[in-house]
Amino acid sequence: MNTAAKTAAGSPSRAAAAGRLVLRRLGFAVPVLVIVAFGVFLLAAASPFDPIHQYYGVQIFDASAQDVAAVRARLGLDDPVLVQFWNWFSGVLSGDLGISRSMRQPVAQVVAERLPWTILLATTGLVVAVLIAVVLGTAAAWRQGGWIDRFVTAIGYALEGVPPFVLALLSIAVFSLGLGWLPVAGLTDAGSAISIGQVLEHLALPALVLGVSQSPWLVLHLRQSLLSSLSEDHVVGARARGLGEGIVVLRHALPTALLPFVNLIGTRIPELVTGAVLVEEVFSWPGVAAAVVTAATAVDYPLLAILALVATAAVLLGSLLADVAAILLDPRVAADG
Amino acid sequence: MSETVNATVSTAISPRTEPLLELDRLSVRFLLGRRRGGGEVRAVTDASLALRPGRVLALVGESGCGKSVLASALLGLLPANAQVRGRALLHRDRTVESGGSVELLTAPESVLARRVRGRLVGLVPQSAGTHLTPVRTARAQLEETIRRLRPRADPASADELADWAGLRPEQLDHHPHELSGGMAQRVAMALALAGDPPVVLADEPTTGLDRPLVDRTVDQLGDIAGQGRAVLLITHDLAAARRVATDVAVMYASRIVEAGPTAEVFGEPWHPYTAGLLRALPEGGFEPIPGHPPSLTELEGLERKWGCVFCQRCPEMPGFAPCTGDPEPIDHGDRRVAAHPPC
Amino acid sequence: MGDVRESVPESTAWESGSGQWRSAARKRAGTPRGGGREVRARIRLWGSLGTLVALVLAALLVPALAGNEGGVHYEAIRLPPSPEHPFGTDTAGRDVFVRALAGLRVSLLVAAVSALVSTVLGAAVGTIAGALGGWTDRLLMRVVDTVNAVPHLLLGIVIVALYRGSVVAVVLSIALTHWTAVARIVRSEVLSLRQRPYIDAAISGGATRWRVLHRHLLPAIVPQAALSAVLLIPHAVWHETALSFLGLGLPPHMASIGNILGDGREAVLLGAWWIILFPSALLVVTTLAVSGIAASWRDGVVPRRRSELAL
Repeated sequence: MNTAAKTAAGSPSRAAAAGRLVLRRLGFAVPVLVIVAFGVFLLAAASPFDPIHQYYGVQIFDASAQDVAAVRARLGLDDPVLVQFWNWFSGVLSGDLGISRSMRQPVAQVVAERLPWTILLATTGLVVAVLIAVVLGTAAAWRQGGWIDRFVTAIGYALEGVPPFVLALLSIAVFSLGLGWLPVAGLTDAGSAISIGQVLEHLALPALVLGVSQSPWLVLHLRQSLLSSLSEDHVVGARARGLGEGIVVLRHALPTALLPFVNLIGTRIPELVTGAVLVEEVFSWPGVAAAVVTAATAVDYPLLAILALVATAAVLLGSLLADVAAILLDPRVAADG
Repeated sequence: MSETVNATVSTAISPRTEPLLELDRLSVRFLLGRRRGGGEVRAVTDASLALRPGRVLALVGESGCGKSVLASALLGLLPANAQVRGRALLHRDRTVESGGSVELLTAPESVLARRVRGRLVGLVPQSAGTHLTPVRTARAQLEETIRRLRPRADPASADELADWAGLRPEQLDHHPHELSGGMAQRVAMALALAGDPPVVLADEPTTGLDRPLVDRTVDQLGDIAGQGRAVLLITHDLAAARRVATDVAVMYASRIVEAGPTAEVFGEPWHPYTAGLLRALPEGGFEPIPGHPPSLTELEGLERKWGCVFCQRCPEMPGFAPCTGDPEPIDHGDRRVAAHPPC
Repeated sequence: MGDVRESVPESTAWESGSGQWRSAARKRAGTPRGGGREVRARIRLWGSLGTLVALVLAALLVPALAGNEGGVHYEAIRLPPSPEHPFGTDTAGRDVFVRALAGLRVSLLVAAVSALVSTVLGAAVGTIAGALGGWTDRLLMRVVDTVNAVPHLLLGIVIVALYRGSVVAVVLSIALTHWTAVARIVRSEVLSLRQRPYIDAAISGGATRWRVLHRHLLPAIVPQAALSAVLLIPHAVWHETALSFLGLGLPPHMASIGNILGDGREAVLLGAWWIILFPSALLVVTTLAVSGIAASWRDGVVPRRRSELAL
């Protein structure tokens, strides 16, 4: 009856707590992004690769010294690093991300075309991983020491050691080549237009591989978190009240175990990005993560720097979202201020 | 609330009715893992008690003498390293269809979960606030409990129950961390009675409450005993026990050293420990028993060496240990006392 | 007095109760089933140690005994597993078993060096941050946060891309991305040490900074750092393998597990699954063995650090 009034009274303070967190994180994120950009720039400046060689390629042996010097001056390669950085950085701020040599496109266009596919793959993969974790983690903790638990824990530890690309290759060998269920790679079949059915069919295997490869940490963490939750007073209280085992685990132990789990998901975003790089590469998925490898192979510096920034921003955003979610889910936060 | 209770539970109460719950030489010990020395902790030794309808039995003693373990043992909520011995027979009264009795220590988890906890034996836990799930409101948990224990109950009965326990309906909409100690205590009381159990175990229900709230809580326990339930009040607060208990059992270092009707035991204590506890009360002269109760890990050695673990602190014979062997339970009508021959 | 009591039979009072002791454990969520935890922990330790020793010996001996066959064996390209080649042959007709063990040797060596460099770097940063405190601490921890905000493999890719084709680049790529975890652990160890009274006493007693460091800080830090180094090895192997798989890691003539798997990519599409199955199995078993040793060590030697070491 008074629930509405109560929630109305409770939520502003929680929203305020979340708002303060967002502001604090933004204050942290801006310098981090600048430092990352500068760091990548410094690494490039210290690199033995001279961008002029990339500019000319093999033709540098035919070019005259004056021409090379002129190009150097035009590209600003002889300026001090700080000046070079400032030129590039102010360009980025005004929306000019530079040109990608390896893709032969403006960097902004590469990112705009590829980012949505990466987000689709990473989100699906994360959902798969979380579903696996909640189901298997709960099942394992429920019967701690039982055969399900031992099986899940053993597989979990083993999977932690399997790189995603091995998983990807083996799943291609089994599901695409062996059983012929799913396509080997790409976004669509060769020559087909992009359609929902095509994309879903091609998304299934990479997303599953990404999800499975990210799941062991989540599974083992949720299991541990649920086990400690099960030994807490409120679970004893729920049992003493005469509630059944299912209710005790699912409605009393699991909700409190999920709070640290939500935070953990946030901290796993870097590994999700890493997994996406490898999975996209193996499945020729046209996302930004695969472009990292292309850019690195071609020492395509402008693209590489922007991709590093995009990935860092994704990590910061992911952990922010997880923490905001944890605040909104935990009624105790508002009381702490 | 009280109408529903009175309709189901007989109001005819005499002091010598058949017990609802009988403990026969119940013992509990905890085995410590190898990392912690591999010893054992003796929490309860040969406890024999009877809980009768309409009566409040207070189990008193200083903190750390094993009282609370007794409640966990009766509900099958001991941790996995615990071992039990003896019997605890729950005689189902006529409010339960099939009759017969359940032995609580050997009953499988399914019997305890589906038929005993909440339905036949309710628990008012120590530190009520932490025994509530922190991410759900008190109302959600109370309504859930009522729904599970009494599927045919009126949906509004959560408010009725809360009202009986002394909570306003809107207070139920708070999360556990927003409840004061007293409010959490009332929620716990409502939760313990959600399944209308004939036996109620209250484990230190007054910890952390001020005197008016303590009185209010124990009076409530008196009320629910008055409705024909059997109540076990576990407390270290003798004043609270004296206020409401019809019977009292005094526990020291895992053993029940004296038991009997409250007026007689407190009026003329037979065991020196009971006498010492009474002297520690303001009206008894504020003279605390010297020393501390022994650690439960040392009991075995102490008993072997001294015979009686209380002798170390016994005011009559400080430092001496003339007692030997097993304490002999002496039955004298309603009263029992554990005595070593010279004590 | 005590000696008189010795003659009393053991705990007569205790044994005289009714009935036998029975466990109060019940079958429900949160109560562990099955026993033998300590037995299983011992099996884990000795199993992991034995496996690792066997793997290292095999990695050292088998390729040496098999000899470097060199060249392409056209008659033996992509043969499935057979008694002669228990794990088949690869695209150049080489025995997968021998080649994978040789690759494991390279991978482990690179990983061990990287883990060591990483640990030294992390321990230095952690000690400085913890010991000096103040703005140095804040600055260094901000650096740690920043490095952690960039996905490790991505930062590693940037590093190797700009200094391509050398072993040093790979080692640096691993070391520069993995030191942060060590730095945090060491810093918190130093901070907790600084709170202890005997450190204060030593400093106010006139001990020099060096003496305090030598006598008190190092003995506390070294076990933590050593454990971190061992725990880092699986991560380093993983990182190196991923880089090499992408063609950005070790130069092609150094056949690490990652290079072998990278080479095996096309082979898998041709149906030669065995070319990647055995090297990856070897990788997983090695990782598990090292993790198992580290886990036993952590539980036994340096207890209660699990959450921080969940790298």
